[in-house]
Amino acid sequence: MVVLGARSHEVADEIAAIEYCYAQGWTDGLPVVPPADHLVHEMLEWAGRPQEEVVATHAATGRRCSVFSAAVNAVMAGCRPEYFPVVLAALEAMGRPGYNFHASTASTGGSAPLLIVSGPIAEEIGMNSGANVFGPGNRANATIGRAIRLTILNVFKMIPGISDQSTQGNPGKYSFCIAEHATGNPWEPLNVELGYPADVSTVTVYAGGGFQNIENHGAHDPEGILLCVADSMANLGCISPGQSVVVLSPEHASIVASKGWSKQQVREFIYEHARGSLVELKRAGKVQAEPAADDASRFMHRGQGAEDILITVAGGDAGGHSAFIPSWSRGRASLWQTRAIGVCVDCENEEEDDDDTSL
Amino acid sequence: MTIRLYDPGGDPPEHVATLAPRLASIDGLRIGILANGKVNGDVLARETARMFVERHGACIAADENKGNATRICPPNLLASIAECSDLLITAVGD
Repeated sequence: MVVLGARSHEVADEIAAIEYCYAQGWTDGLPVVPPADHLVHEMLEWAGRPQEEVVATHAATGRRCSVFSAAVNAVMAGCRPEYFPVVLAALEAMGRPGYNFHASTASTGGSAPLLIVSGPIAEEIGMNSGANVFGPGNRANATIGRAIRLTILNVFKMIPGISDQSTQGNPGKYSFCIAEHATGNPWEPLNVELGYPADVSTVTVYAGGGFQNIENHGAHDPEGILLCVADSMANLGCISPGQSVVVLSPEHASIVASKGWSKQQVREFIYEHARGSLVELKRAGKVQAEPAADDASRFMHRGQGAEDILITVAGGDAGGHSAFIPSWSRGRASLWQTRAIGVCVDCENEEEDDDDTSL
Repeated sequence: MTIRLYDPGGDPPEHVATLAPRLASIDGLRIGILANGKVNGDVLARETARMFVERHGACIAADENKGNATRICPPNLLASIAECSDLLITAVGD
C-alpha cells in the first residue's frame, strides 16, 4: 500500500535500508528500523485519527508534523504500534504555545523533552517505572522517547550544530521518557492530581535540562530528605525562577509520606528552602545588579512559587536516590504541558500559556 | 524483492524563509533596529547601526526590541519596521 503524496524510496533489502537511512541523515546516530510501508500502516492503525491531521507545529519555521510523519518516525525509533498514542499525545503537548517547541529545541540550553507517563497505559504497554527508570532496558520507555527525538530531527529539522545550537546537549536527547510508579507512590498519581479521571492516562512533557541525582541514605525524616532536594535545586549553577521536576524514589517518598506529609506540603517546603542569597547570586553573576546593603537578607527562590515544582515518584524500591531535572527555561519561556493519551478529554478550550516574558 | 521506505521528513513547511536581496549600497538608507530581548543584543545592534550612520550617511528610522528571544517577532512589529526602513539590523546578546 502506498500513501498518496508521501515520498518513498526503494532499497534492496533490510541491511541496505539501514545504511540508506544513515546516508539520508535520518538517524540520531544509532541504527533505525527501516520505515517500511507495512510497519507504518500498522502504526497508523493505532492512531485513531486521520493520518493527515497535524499534531504539532514550529511557529518559527512553519514546519508541521502530521500523524503520518509521526508514525514513520515512531517505526524508525522501534516503537510497537500500541505505543503510538503516547507519541501522538506527547507531540500535541509539545505543540502547545506554552511549551515553546521551537525555541526549546534550538537553544544553546540543550534541553530534552522529558516525558512522564501517568495512569493505566504505563502498565498496559509495559513501561518501566521501577529500577533503572531513566536508564536502558525497556522498549517502551526507550522508543517512545526516541520517537520524539527522531521527529524533532526529521520533521522539524532541528539538526545538531545547525538549527539545534545546544552548547553541550544532554544524554536525554536520545530518549527521556519514564512512567510514574503506580504502587510505590504514596500520593495520588499525577494524572489525577492534574484533574483527569483515574482511568485516563496522561503524558506530561517538560523541556528538561540535565539530570541531577539526589543521594540521601541517612535521613529518616521528611526534612532531611527534602533539604537535600532543595539544595540540589538551588545550587548556583542551575538556580533560576524556572520550573522544576522532582522524581522521588519510592524509598524517599515513603519516608516523607510516612510522617503524613502531603504532596503540597512537600512542594511548599522545597520551595521555601530552594533559594540563594543575593550576595552569592550577584557574586556569581547570576543576578546582574550592583551589590546592595540588604543583599544578605534577600533571596531568590528556585521557581516563582510552590506550584512551579512537579513532584512524581519513580525508580527502584531500594535506594536513596531521587532526581531533579531543571527546566530549560529560566523563567516562563517553556512550561510543562500535559495531554490525555488516546482520548479527547482536553481537546476543547485548551489553555494557551503564551504570556511568558523571559528566557 | 525491494523494500519501500517512507520518508520521515514530513510535509513542506507552511512558509519558506529566503534571504533578502543584497543591497547595492547602504549610503543614505533608513535603518531599522530589532533587538531580540537578550542582554546586550540592543547594544550590539545600536553600535552596528551607529557605524553605518557615521560611515555611510544612513539614518536610524526604527529602534525596537521584540522583548523575548524565544518567541517569533510579532508580525505587526515587523511590518511597522519594514514600512519605515530600507534595511534591518538584528542582534543576539547574552
